[in-house]
Amino acid sequence: MIEEASAPPSPRWHSRLPPAAWLALVIIAALALLAGVKGPVEAGQATINGLVDAGYVALGAVGLTLIFGILRIINFAHGDFLTLGAYVALMIAASGLPIWLAAALAILVTAAVAAALDKLVWEPMRRMQTSTLQLLLAAIGIALVLRYTIQFFAGSQVRSFGQDILSAVNLGPWHLGTLQLVALLAGIALIVAVGLGLRFTAVGKQMRALSDNMALAEVTGIDTRGAIRLTWIVAGALAAIAGILYAAAVGTINPNFGSLILLSLFTAAVLGGIGNAYGALLGGIVIGLAQEWSTLFLNARWKPAVGFAILILTLLVLPRGIFGRVPART
Amino acid sequence: MLRRLMMGTLFATGISLAAVSTAPADPINLTIGKLLELTGPLSETGPSQDKAIKLAIDYANKAAAAAGVDIKAADVGADVQGDPQAALSAARALVAKGASCLIGPSITPESIAIANGLTIQKKITIWPVGTSMRLRTIKDEGTIFRTVPPDSLQALALVAGIIDKLGTASGKLVSIAYRNEPYGEGLAKDFKAAWEAKGGKTQGPVVFDPNQATFDSEAGEIVANNPDAYVIIDYPDTFAKLGASLVRTGKFDATKLFVPDALAFSTVPGNIPAQAIEGARGTRGGTPTDTDAYKVFDKLWETAGGAEHFSLDANSFDSTTLCMLAAVAGKSADPAAIQEHVRAVTTPGAPKFYLTTLSDAFKAVAGGEKIDYVGVAGAFEFAANGDPTISRFDIFEYRAGKLAVLKQIDAAK
Repeated sequence: MIEEASAPPSPRWHSRLPPAAWLALVIIAALALLAGVKGPVEAGQATINGLVDAGYVALGAVGLTLIFGILRIINFAHGDFLTLGAYVALMIAASGLPIWLAAALAILVTAAVAAALDKLVWEPMRRMQTSTLQLLLAAIGIALVLRYTIQFFAGSQVRSFGQDILSAVNLGPWHLGTLQLVALLAGIALIVAVGLGLRFTAVGKQMRALSDNMALAEVTGIDTRGAIRLTWIVAGALAAIAGILYAAAVGTINPNFGSLILLSLFTAAVLGGIGNAYGALLGGIVIGLAQEWSTLFLNARWKPAVGFAILILTLLVLPRGIFGRVPART
Repeated sequence: MLRRLMMGTLFATGISLAAVSTAPADPINLTIGKLLELTGPLSETGPSQDKAIKLAIDYANKAAAAAGVDIKAADVGADVQGDPQAALSAARALVAKGASCLIGPSITPESIAIANGLTIQKKITIWPVGTSMRLRTIKDEGTIFRTVPPDSLQALALVAGIIDKLGTASGKLVSIAYRNEPYGEGLAKDFKAAWEAKGGKTQGPVVFDPNQATFDSEAGEIVANNPDAYVIIDYPDTFAKLGASLVRTGKFDATKLFVPDALAFSTVPGNIPAQAIEGARGTRGGTPTDTDAYKVFDKLWETAGGAEHFSLDANSFDSTTLCMLAAVAGKSADPAAIQEHVRAVTTPGAPKFYLTTLSDAFKAVAGGEKIDYVGVAGAFEFAANGDPTISRFDIFEYRAGKLAVLKQIDAAK
């Protein structure tokens, strides 16, 4: 279900603190501890690296969390939508158009593909009231079709946007890539925009209504078909933006890159609380920081394992994720 | 009566023996399988390996025809994708198309998957280009022959290359990093032992997962403590990202970088930042370039056009030639016959033949002689485990985006 950032009121002060504030406190305390143990330069750099990772993951996870929150589809094809967006932008840019225009067109194309797939695959499956397992298998099938179609047209070799990935912004003793900073800021801005859009716009409210109870939303006059189509369009567009920013900032991609980061996207979405845009951001931050902080003590080869260990631990403590809400009893 | 019968039997035996010795041997139609890295992390190597094998088949077919030896080889190829499972599928497809020996692949886990899943059972020889010592941890029953020197020797070559640059190993700190794979793990371990044995110091190793989005933390660890040199064991696709992260640290000096053969390119790929590799040095299996055989090979290469030279292309050329010679020695395209006769064409002490005398080599082998074929990359004279005895390495440096060989060394000495 699509959820808001605020927790229900509670008489105790520590219960009144929203999860995001709790998380911020924990992060600040951990950073202070790390700075004391490892020194501010090393701890600060690991934190910056973690936030960069978080930016990539969070933006990719937003579309995923929207789809699951509203439509209850575990969209295994979402990673490949990131790939599609990046490759369409690459192919359009190769024709000589400026990169910003290629990116804009790629976002439109990816959103259109997402809408078309809703029409061709998801809508008939909804009508047939297929089970979660069938939806899951359909998503995996779409993922493979997208991946191999991209490979067929673009080849399997490594591709690059050719952007300057070497320039860095120096913040005293710390540094981060200029494009990494752009990707991080753009990611945060988009996530906040999606969160605000869901909360305050009419369409956003319709999506949330759908998420809470689709049948009830339908009888109250909401155009559910239109809202669902719009959800796919938004998710497709967000995936394309995430894929393009990722490809530009990381430097090189191949047709598998979306599928390779898909697990991280799921982790961020689940950690943050499925269906919550801000949750995807916070989930990404938790994963990114945990992985990069771990390199202060462990060999970097353990990074992926640390990320998933954090996921398991968090779910043991907060089974519904950081922004997870216990459903109201009826 | 008995006497007459014995005479008749002897006459008949003589006739049949004469028929065997004078009748032309059955023509050998040999199919050679190419396990190519056309996609995946070593896709830079695929085109040159493909070209090397095709050139070898073409040259050897002509040499055999000139010698009157009735063998005709053809090639079939498949993409191994840098993935063990895909490599096994590719190998199965090639064997289904009749491949009797398989040249490649370049990544050791792929070779291990193919050996365990297919070729050991069918006694098909594979001729990998991968150099990891992990390959020798499996019981291959004599089916794996490598014409490339293994990483235990490349580690010594790397040590020699760094000493060549720094003047000494004593007290010098080398930062080691590798991609989390058997190739990197084995080579890093051998290098660390060899460097420390010379009195050098090491830090790391920093081991990285190639599927990560960023390598900034790893880059920070590699350049920490301002080491005298970095040894980074990686493939081109990951190094494009790691290299950028290293440059962004602001503390990286590419002239202190040393890389092994997987990062040896005639021309640096465009997606690897120049600042990450210009001035770096490295090692790769060396081919003696002052021989007549190399001149013939290089002329064939240049005349054919297409892919540029890449590390170990001469070795794949030689593997293909050896497979054909072994088939002639075994008088069959049967994989088991080829496997049985590989050592008959690389016998230490036997008459030596070269690419320039390949026709004579075919004639000698067809006549049942044992020979010691010396390839473009050198004499192989395989050890008991199927690894070659050659240990020549190039020490190279990247200058203006091109690989320049500084010297050749014998790592075993």
